[in-house]
Amino acid sequence: MTTEGAAAPLGPLSERVVEALGALGGRLEREPFEVRVVLPARVIVDAVRTARAAGFDLLSDVFAIDWLRYPGHQGPRFSVDYNLYSIEHGERLFLRVDVDEDEPVPSITGAWKAATFLEREVYDMFGLRFSGHPDLRKIHTPEDLEGHPLRKDFPLGETPTLFNDGRFLDPAAFRAGMIGASGGLTGWVGGARKGVVAEQVDPAPAAPRPGATRGDEGER
Amino acid sequence: MTVKPAGYQAVTLSEERTGDFETKLMRINVGPQHPSTHGVLRLVVDLDGERIARISPVIGYLHTGFEKTMEHRTYQQVVTYSNRMDYVHSFGHDLAYVLSAEQLMAARVPERAQRIRVILTELNRIASHLVFFGTGILDMGALTLFFYTMREREQLLDIFESVTGVRMNFGYFRVGGLYQDVPESFEHDVRAFIRSFPKMLDQYSALFAKNDIFVNRTTGVGVIPAERALEDGLTGPSLRASGVPLDFRKAQPYSGYEDYDFDVPVSTAGDAHARFEVRFQEMRESLKIVEQALDRLEPGPVRDPDRRISLPPRSELETSMEAVIFHFKLVTEGFHPPRGSAYVATESARGELGYYLVSDGGSMPYRVKVRVPSLVNLQSLESACVGGLFADMVVNIATMDPVMGDVDK
Amino acid sequence: MGLKDLFEKDVQELERDGILFSTLGKLVAWGRSNSLWPATFGLACCAIEMMQSTNARNDMARLGSEVFRASPRQADVMIVAGRCSKKMAPVMRRVYEQMPDPKWVISMGACASSGGMFNNYAIVQNVDSVVPVDVFVPGCPPRPESLIYAVLQLQKKVRGEVFDQDGVELPMVEGWTR
Ligand code: SF4
Repeated sequence: MTTEGAAAPLGPLSERVVEALGALGGRLEREPFEVRVVLPARVIVDAVRTARAAGFDLLSDVFAIDWLRYPGHQGPRFSVDYNLYSIEHGERLFLRVDVDEDEPVPSITGAWKAATFLEREVYDMFGLRFSGHPDLRKIHTPEDLEGHPLRKDFPLGETPTLFNDGRFLDPAAFRAGMIGASGGLTGWVGGARKGVVAEQVDPAPAAPRPGATRGDEGER
Repeated sequence: MTVKPAGYQAVTLSEERTGDFETKLMRINVGPQHPSTHGVLRLVVDLDGERIARISPVIGYLHTGFEKTMEHRTYQQVVTYSNRMDYVHSFGHDLAYVLSAEQLMAARVPERAQRIRVILTELNRIASHLVFFGTGILDMGALTLFFYTMREREQLLDIFESVTGVRMNFGYFRVGGLYQDVPESFEHDVRAFIRSFPKMLDQYSALFAKNDIFVNRTTGVGVIPAERALEDGLTGPSLRASGVPLDFRKAQPYSGYEDYDFDVPVSTAGDAHARFEVRFQEMRESLKIVEQALDRLEPGPVRDPDRRISLPPRSELETSMEAVIFHFKLVTEGFHPPRGSAYVATESARGELGYYLVSDGGSMPYRVKVRVPSLVNLQSLESACVGGLFADMVVNIATMDPVMGDVDK
Repeated sequence: MGLKDLFEKDVQELERDGILFSTLGKLVAWGRSNSLWPATFGLACCAIEMMQSTNARNDMARLGSEVFRASPRQADVMIVAGRCSKKMAPVMRRVYEQMPDPKWVISMGACASSGGMFNNYAIVQNVDSVVPVDVFVPGCPPRPESLIYAVLQLQKKVRGEVFDQDGVELPMVEGWTR
């Protein structure tokens, strides 16, 4: 790792805000490229208000991460991240809240209207609820889609390719060869592939029936 | 009998009004297949007479599952997807993605590659603004300018085609540099464009900037004050039209933008006319950047020589076993960035654009989150439209310049 | 030439004089093929190329197809330009059903024809499963020239000049019904 040990610089404004957030129970994490404060879920609205009052005047983004398949991850399954930017100081600050599946996150729409669509997106894609959101509906996916696409246990939903001459290509098995989850034709299973918990993909069937669908889930 | 006051108060609205007569809001559905919504945007509008009382965008009609798909592709393959998200400013998306991935990989991009990236991104910004002008003014009923802007856009597409082989959706940037060097005719073509384009801009401004109909149709329409804009998370040219001079090319320079001398056009009016004006000025500034970058374009490599990232040159494959091994590994599984996350904010033609990448040490990103400008900008449609005329809504959508691929991901 | 010549002269003579004979169905199909008005159904990137195909350089107007109608009720052909998501599919079907008969569909681009590179939960893998497609245009995005070629192919189909894989001539689209 070339970046090991290095940490993103902490600007004067961030320093002040991090200190104020510390009083709310925030813990500073300095990654190589980002300054992040991890907070308990119940104080997030106050934290955002504090940061905004101190000078972080642009809410860039609200997004979630599903840590289900992240190797070595401990703690709650999801985290919700808030990406703040200060126009005057040119500094960026990430706030993070760790939550479990059915734990509601307080909505920050009262403190910042810009979060309306972004929280709806998180709700749609991850199924996390935001308590106090004025209009928590699906935003991207159709009404009849069940599940939350960006969760790690939601399949990509590939449709297998069937060629005219009866040949058959299963994208999931094809990809499995590439990431080292399956031996493929050569039996070579990739290099030192750290990090990935093998996806449950069986090698391609010996004699695929034409028309058989054996993608992740076929058509959803 | 109460007469409606001239300054419309959206807050006092209710389904039933006290007074001599009752009015009801009328609900109108616009889209998703509608000529003036720039794609598949759907709006549910509540009208009080001619004025808009409530407006709520319904989106997702172009939801493509980009983020999920990217999580199933190797880092280098993602470049094929990123540009299809915002198909009007493709190079902007490519640039934002490769910058984040390069930050993760700690790649060193050669200077020539940086300069070519800047040139192409800025030319693409011009092309994007040209589409904005053509379609934006088309929405107001003026067809002529559309043909003018499309003519210049064809000229730009010819340049892109000579460099990348395709007219749109380029996929030309790579993590660690470029796919290959530009052709010899590149510099000549770009210089020809730089020479001819200012004249065209003068032509446009003669066509519309002083046109009474256009000015009256846009001045004072859809005013977004600066505080409202920040509350809604607005970025990009629309934010600058409201008087906030935020431009990530200046604020947090990337890809060597700090070397170039250019201005950030800002207006304080905050109305639709200002949004047109700011973008119009921006084209001239982009042209300045292109010219400076072209002047400083030196011969040199265009890819990071690091074998972890870039394919070895073809000639070596015949002589060196090691090169073959690197080639095989890169092609079959791609590279493995160290664990961690990266985010680089860039300025696309529509606003702040950044890819938040989380790596788990594998050859595919663990999580890709795209901070798309159009989605967030769409929230200010409410600030711009409520209280205004229904006919002005079209102007407001046009000046917000949403690209639906960028909204729905 | 008087009207009585029509009855007295034979066909070859009349053709030399510039009078042609046809069936009404063929005449209608000929006229129809040269004014195929597309409905604007731009979905994604391909729609930009569809716009470009009407510009000064490519000029679809030469083929009588430049009038993009915003209302499906005034259109003959629907150009599905771009990826069609599963949320959009019912809307597309509805727009198609609003078009008056006879109507045709051009599926423009890899995404509309086969799902393209988006083989995932969100995208319809072939719009032929939603609306009946007459011409598929490959490419990502297809160049304007490709779209113009597709329109030419469709014109042939309307006029009844196309053949299937086995070389059997396909029937012309009938005059009044479909
Ligand atoms: S085929 Fe290519 S250009 Fe057309 S919509 Fe799909 S990705 Fe975009």
